[in-house]
Amino acid sequence: MSALLLDVVQQTINGLMYGAFYALLGIGFTLFFGVMKKFNLAYGPTVMAGIYLGLLPLYVWKAPIWVVVLTCVAGAVLVGLLVEVACFRYVAPGNELAPLMTTIGMLILIQELVVLLTHAAPFEYPPVFGDESLELGPFLVRPDYLAILLAGLLFVGLLYLLVEHTAFGRAMRAVAENPRVAQLLGVDVSRVNTLTFVLTSAVGGASGFLVAMTFGALQPGIAGWMTIKGLVVIVIGGLGSIPGAVLAGLLLGVVEFQALWFLGITWRDIFAYLLLFAFLVLRPAGLLGRAAT
Amino acid sequence: MEYVVAVLSIIGIHALLGLSVYLVAITGQLSFGQQGFYAIGAYLAGMATALWNWSLGPALALGTVAAGVVGFLVGFPALRVRGLYLGIATLGFGEIVRLGFLNLKYTKTIGGRLVGPNGAEGFRHVTYVYERGITQGQYLLVILLALALVIVLISLLERSRLGVQFRAVEEDEIAAAVAGVHVTAVKVLAFTLGGMVAGLGGALFVHYSTYIDHEMVALPLAVSAVTYAMLGGLGSCWGTVLGAAVLISLTEGLRVAKEFRLIVYGALIILVMTLRPRGLVDERVVLWLGGWMRRRRWRLDAP
Repeated sequence: MSALLLDVVQQTINGLMYGAFYALLGIGFTLFFGVMKKFNLAYGPTVMAGIYLGLLPLYVWKAPIWVVVLTCVAGAVLVGLLVEVACFRYVAPGNELAPLMTTIGMLILIQELVVLLTHAAPFEYPPVFGDESLELGPFLVRPDYLAILLAGLLFVGLLYLLVEHTAFGRAMRAVAENPRVAQLLGVDVSRVNTLTFVLTSAVGGASGFLVAMTFGALQPGIAGWMTIKGLVVIVIGGLGSIPGAVLAGLLLGVVEFQALWFLGITWRDIFAYLLLFAFLVLRPAGLLGRAAT
Repeated sequence: MEYVVAVLSIIGIHALLGLSVYLVAITGQLSFGQQGFYAIGAYLAGMATALWNWSLGPALALGTVAAGVVGFLVGFPALRVRGLYLGIATLGFGEIVRLGFLNLKYTKTIGGRLVGPNGAEGFRHVTYVYERGITQGQYLLVILLALALVIVLISLLERSRLGVQFRAVEEDEIAAAVAGVHVTAVKVLAFTLGGMVAGLGGALFVHYSTYIDHEMVALPLAVSAVTYAMLGGLGSCWGTVLGAAVLISLTEGLRVAKEFRLIVYGALIILVMTLRPRGLVDERVVLWLGGWMRRRRWRLDAP
């Protein structure tokens, strides 16, 4: 194989692995949008707050890793519920922009609160899988990235079962389709909304743990980064589509890594946004979305 | 006194940035990309005075017009998407502009100093204002004059037929089109005007601060700009000016408690948007104020 082709394939592998991050972020975002028909820009900070809370058992009690994971999930759920109360519950319905602004306010609030409490010092997160890369013929695969990819697929499978084959999933789909009719048919809409916050935050907490573990260090700026990447992913994938978010995440990862390898670090984000632009102009519904609004 | 002048200058410049969001918002389009136009205005006007020896007036005009042209061009693809999608698309535009300036290198050695946009190092030594001996107070007057001019023009626009068309497009695009409004023209015009106002703000800013880099036109600036307009209210352009004044005075006033500054800022956004979803100066306030002023005039006119 020529060196160029080797590079392209290796960067595609890296991109797919990294893209699994984006896919995980996109899943929570898109699930939320699917049910609530609103963006939650405080989703990134929710996830960040969860993984910061996960540091507590790790540093204070030297707890085993499964306790840390559970704390991340519980922390994210707690903060997610807080976001629901503060940013959505009391905002008058019918205003599309108001909840967007309240979640922006929450984004700033949570991020600065974490900066204040941690003095903006980065915290180390323990690697679970060690540094050794797996060799796959001429290519290298990092085990922690592989774990993220597998976790992503697992979450998608579980969410698929939940959404398509349980009573709660049916209620969620009904609310997503038409909240008023769902209410008339006896679905408790506000309960579904609250549980959607719980579910997306839990997915976020678990994904956030994997992300933090792979990065090896944690700093508050991660909240804004996760929010932006999540938004890009769900637009490319099609709003509300879980498989779309996964595909878009992987695609974004591959594009970013090719740009990074062949053009340099400053081109990475330019290509990410060009991809976003291309989709918005040429296919506004996204990869697997229904008609755009 | 110097401090007050500095704060007022920043309020004036940021009010212009907020007004560019407002102009686009009153046609029902939310833009998180106005800082891109601001950056274009700042870099071009800065290059004009620092590298090409232009004087301030033409440089400000260049920044304004160039940003307006880009706004015109962005207006067309932006037509394809609406609402929250447009918010994300414009966010992407702003970031592309920022990353473009991060990669831009165009420098000359003038008087022993390297002047001009220099990639990640930023664009230093835009010293026109200081070399000409213009004081901060005089430059504040320039900023306030520009702001006053923009406010007058926007007020005239809103009182005109065109202003009614802007609002009609916000309310219901299809109904507006049926009533004979050229929706495409209105939306592209809004983006062009918004780009111009933001470009003017950026051009004024770079001569005020003598320095600009890509981090100064990143997403936090976009969030501020949108917050001025949304918090201030979409009922009148005075709302945006009020929003910028309140938020900047507040962050300056809280400088003593600087760790809590942004926390209060975030909490304030949540509180105001929950209590007043259309902002402080919303349509109801404008109507009420208008009615109050009419009643007063009637009383004064009465014998």
